[in-house]
Amino acid sequence: MFFFVFMGIVMGLLMFVSQHPEIASRSATLSVKTSFLGEFSWAAYNDLLIQIILTVGVIGFGIITSWDFGREFSDRVVKDLLALPVPRFTIILAKLIILFFWSMILSVIVLVAAILTGLAVRIPGWTAVDWFPFLWNYIVCTVLNALLITPVAFVASAGRGYLLPISFIILIMILTQLLFVGLPGAAFWFPWALPALFSGVAGEAMPQPGFISYLIYGLTVLAGLFGTIAWWQYADHK
Amino acid sequence: MFKMTHVIHTENLTKHYGDVHAAEDVTLHIKKAEIYGFLGLNGAGKTTTIRMLLGMIRPTMGTAFLFGQKVGPGNLDLWNQVGHLVETPYSYPELTVMENLEIYYRLRLLKDPGLLADVVEKLHLGQYRNTKAKHLSLGNAQRLGIAKAMIHHPGLLILDEPANGLDPAGIVEIRELLSDLAGNHGVSVFISSHILGEISRFATRIGIIHEGHMIYESDIDRLDQSRRRSLHVETLDNEQAHEILSSAGYSADFLSDGSLEVSGEAAINHPEKISALLASQGLAPKKILVEEEDLEHFFLRLIQTSKPSS
Repeated sequence: MFFFVFMGIVMGLLMFVSQHPEIASRSATLSVKTSFLGEFSWAAYNDLLIQIILTVGVIGFGIITSWDFGREFSDRVVKDLLALPVPRFTIILAKLIILFFWSMILSVIVLVAAILTGLAVRIPGWTAVDWFPFLWNYIVCTVLNALLITPVAFVASAGRGYLLPISFIILIMILTQLLFVGLPGAAFWFPWALPALFSGVAGEAMPQPGFISYLIYGLTVLAGLFGTIAWWQYADHK
Repeated sequence: MFKMTHVIHTENLTKHYGDVHAAEDVTLHIKKAEIYGFLGLNGAGKTTTIRMLLGMIRPTMGTAFLFGQKVGPGNLDLWNQVGHLVETPYSYPELTVMENLEIYYRLRLLKDPGLLADVVEKLHLGQYRNTKAKHLSLGNAQRLGIAKAMIHHPGLLILDEPANGLDPAGIVEIRELLSDLAGNHGVSVFISSHILGEISRFATRIGIIHEGHMIYESDIDRLDQSRRRSLHVETLDNEQAHEILSSAGYSADFLSDGSLEVSGEAAINHPEKISALLASQGLAPKKILVEEEDLEHFFLRLIQTSKPSS
């Protein structure tokens, strides 16, 4: 949770530094980091927050999912969840529902921390921002990312631990970035690119998501869900 | 209908992992209130069999029935009657003993908070209630595992090497607890071990598995008949005694210390006749006694002489 508060505060501070080049000039890393932030205004800041939740969504939600499923295997307590008067899919659904709401809460924490920091460093243009579309965009991006945890849950289960799913998340991150840079057209087909395409922050060059994009996305989420359930139900738990 | 009388009943339970035959045609029958000692060396197929009984591994062939119901994904009520401990028990390391038990209490949909206090008291975990599981000694972690297996008062306990990590006092305590459950509360206990001497102290029936095959099954009171007995004889001249006994029709062999081992019912049941025979030839025995094979030797002999078909 601290990580998410930290993310929000850091964004606000970077914004502040970008407006005060005399601070940035003393630190080479900072000046590089802040150069991508654009102008010092709430409109630019909000665009940045959308980008943050898109990234934090994949990494952060993926990590909590990896941990929640993977620890049952690495702590070797999974055998206590198998011979119970409760169906195994109930346990998986319970885990996924908690993880979904947990993801939502974390994204709200990022948002609140970032807005408070933004106010503290006095980013101008508060009244010029159209808040409703921004918040809608932010929430939809969060939900789209929070549903994409099901394939991570499957990888954590089949890989019996949290190393494999975390590698999987990193791979997905790299792949998404490569698609956006190298093959923007292919992002249309890639389920993990859908939240970014939906948000519109990726830029004009990117395709608009179509019915097929949503279909592939939906199938990925469902495949993750049913794959996880089937694995728990039918694989050998040695 | 026959299988209804059995708490555990398996038919040709078989598990292959590729070329590895972990369990082969394992057929078991365990009656109510029986304590069944399931013996085998490490890797003999004990844990594989136990995991098939608990539905954690799908058999390649064959079926397992608990309380007459087939073990499978659909049969959830079954697990209200079964408690288990599989291999080393693990608990959530960051949670305390009580928190771990509460999780299990909820997962088992139990409704009587008294059960928690009961099981803590029964396994003497009281002073560790608020200790995190990662700080427990191996023996206490084992107790917590047994507590999780017993919290819902099951009619059948399936325990995989529950004595691991317990000190001698703990072993006696668990043994008495299990004997009490079986003797006074009608609980059936299926318990695996690789130490026959330990299990034979309280089991009512013994089964031995080796290389995936059941090679021996017997009630505990008939175990003695399966153990090899022989008569050990020592005289001042064992060479001559050997000749005398052989010519009288006994089968005698030299032991490593030079003394004689006489086998056969005639010798074992009537050592006095051998004594008289040797005395009449001027070789009265210095020592004559019936030796019973100890349990570990019996166990190892069974395993060595068994020739699995595969």
